[in-house]
Amino acid sequence: MTASRDHDGRTVSLGGRTGRNNRLIGVGGIAFAMGMIGLTYAAAPFYSAFCRATGYEGTPQQAKANTDAEGHRILRVGFDANVAPGLAWTFEPEDESIEVRTGKTVTVYFRVKNLSDSPTEGHATFNVTPEVSGGYFNKISCFCFTTQHLGPHESAEWPVVFFLDPALEKDPSMDRVDSITLSYTMFAPPAEKPTADRGGPAG
Amino acid sequence: MASVTDFSHHGVDAHHEHEHHIPTGWRRYLYSTNHKDIGTLYLILAIICGLIGTVLSILIRAELMSPGVQVFPWISAIMTGDGSADAAKNMYNVFFSSHALIMIFFMVMPAMMGGFGNWMVPLMIGAPDMAFPRLNNMSFWLLVASFLLLMCSMFAEGSPGMHGFGGGWVLYPPMSSQVGTPGPAADFVILSMHLAGASSILGSINFIATIFNMRAPGMTMFRMPLFPWSVLVTAFLLLLSLPVLAGALTMLLTDRNFHTTFFEPAGGGDPILFQHLFWFFAHPEVYILIIPGFGMVSQVVATFSKKPIFGYVGMVYAMLAIAFLGFAVWAHHMFTTGMSLNAQRYFVFATMVIAVPTGVKVFSWLATMWGGSLSLRPPMLWAIGFVFVFTVGGVTGVVLANAAIDRYLHDTYYVVAHFHYVMSLGAVFSIFAGFYYWFPKMTGYLYDERLAKWHFWVSFVGINLAFFPQHFLGFQGMPRRVVDYTEAYAFWNMVSSIGAFIGGAGTLIFVYVLYDAFKVKRVAGANPWGPGATTLEWQLPSPPPFHTWEEPPHILGDEHDHAPAIVGHGSAA
Repeated sequence: MTASRDHDGRTVSLGGRTGRNNRLIGVGGIAFAMGMIGLTYAAAPFYSAFCRATGYEGTPQQAKANTDAEGHRILRVGFDANVAPGLAWTFEPEDESIEVRTGKTVTVYFRVKNLSDSPTEGHATFNVTPEVSGGYFNKISCFCFTTQHLGPHESAEWPVVFFLDPALEKDPSMDRVDSITLSYTMFAPPAEKPTADRGGPAG
Repeated sequence: MASVTDFSHHGVDAHHEHEHHIPTGWRRYLYSTNHKDIGTLYLILAIICGLIGTVLSILIRAELMSPGVQVFPWISAIMTGDGSADAAKNMYNVFFSSHALIMIFFMVMPAMMGGFGNWMVPLMIGAPDMAFPRLNNMSFWLLVASFLLLMCSMFAEGSPGMHGFGGGWVLYPPMSSQVGTPGPAADFVILSMHLAGASSILGSINFIATIFNMRAPGMTMFRMPLFPWSVLVTAFLLLLSLPVLAGALTMLLTDRNFHTTFFEPAGGGDPILFQHLFWFFAHPEVYILIIPGFGMVSQVVATFSKKPIFGYVGMVYAMLAIAFLGFAVWAHHMFTTGMSLNAQRYFVFATMVIAVPTGVKVFSWLATMWGGSLSLRPPMLWAIGFVFVFTVGGVTGVVLANAAIDRYLHDTYYVVAHFHYVMSLGAVFSIFAGFYYWFPKMTGYLYDERLAKWHFWVSFVGINLAFFPQHFLGFQGMPRRVVDYTEAYAFWNMVSSIGAFIGGAGTLIFVYVLYDAFKVKRVAGANPWGPGATTLEWQLPSPPPFHTWEEPPHILGDEHDHAPAIVGHGSAA
């Protein structure tokens, strides 16, 4: 392991095997760090898929139909509707809250009105709290699955069809949960594209 | 034992004809590829940034000395010309955010890895320099650029009409996104962290190559002293975790400036994802801040107990275990984000498991001291102080690991007290232990030991007085990151502030110790610590010549030993 040096006394290069091994570790280290950055980006779609699959962070589940038998617990389900700045709509639930038996399919309505003189689009984001109940909140149909259009001063009533999975009765995390809030926030479409298309949570 | 302290025979080697062409003046440092010079630069940067960070913390404590907002209207008026209450509160947020970032990225990390790592790892493993000397230079100057960007952010617009970024070191969106901080202050912070991250990633690759590949013949991995081991473990932590921060910050930057929506709910993103990515980086980061300290404390405790370190192999595996577990516990910072009970159970359990290898280390230090011939010279005082305060911080960490208790203590002053016990006391004490241990080696001068002991005792009393009462404030429910509080918290805040001022006085003593050491020039000799100092660096003259170990040192003993190589019984010079 001898280092050769130039006239300034600085190291020029390490000869032989040591130099080669050093370069190998150096290149390997850089490649590894780049790989970690790649994995960080991969975490975004993975996280979104994870939330959809498990209901993590209060992500409701999307179901085709309710086939389960009715359960015996009755929970209060509250509704919350918000409009993000930049969208001239009003948006509110018809009922503030309802009592829902697990396993029973329910339909609720949200009232929406476009206050502006021009047709506009809106897209709702949503989640439920407590977050642990996300895995048991099954939506069969919802206006939030797609972008909604409203003409000038048009108003509408939008249904949400959902049921609570009776499996929540077996989850100790849900033992002390007797009230679930479903919350929506209606956003105007982003002013400029491009938006990162990473398949936002469904449900 | 080879007469490695005698350099005259090296003259016969043609390579060494150039040894005396040492670059001079600013070129020596700006263009430096010498591990010792770069280490010195890192230490100077760490001291300057440490002093700046300390001033910020003293001003924070001055504000919190009593209820109300008294100090920051002045500071804000001086810095920005706006002394209004809102500007004052904003400036307070900027100060605690900058305090954290400066102390983590520009004080502890440069001191431990850049400073002592660069200086001592090649000396302790018998390597002529780092594996990539030019990369080493780049790492340092990237960090300087990074620090300048952070300083720029304090004077750029953040929230509308306000200066600086006040969202805390965690940089959570939406506080750090367009919503919370539309101005460029947040971009400056993000880019600053990018550069600091790049600097550390390059540095860690350099350490890994050096330690794997450039050890002297006979210096097998398990004969390597614990400090190079700790640097190796830390380098792997950096290489694994910092790219995740870089990636998350790049997402944040593109969210802010290029309309991506990684963390924007409007486009289907989730700010909680940032927290996961951030803590996947930041929990290993807190071990990055302490593991080199473990290494330094191990060297110091062994030297001043005049015994080999107790349980050397266990110490190595404990560091590896802590590093490994450090990647599996990140969500214990996020107990309040609504995880399922099972996820909380896992993170509670995994977090508490870390107490086991940590306990192995603490007991090994105690066992090293047990029955040893202790000499309470300044490095040893700091090392014993480290063991004490680190254990206090570790115990409060086990308390906080419980999700149920964390529900109550989350974001209170209890957390502030906890991480300052491991960082501001633990990591900083280990840095001072290392500094007082290696200062005679690095400079060739001894410092005034009486003053250095004063530095220790004043700091010890001051910082404990500052942070211990914060446990009480946390239990009483005082939230962290607040500029003002109710009368109920007044008493312990007053005590804490007085402690901080005493700690600040300790720092002034440190500055004087430095001044005095360079002024009086007490010659240290190759080994001022006597027979306990058995690692390679003490075989060199103090300060070591510009080039060292170009002829690899001769390591005695069986290569299959699992104990640090003992290279001599350091004759006092």
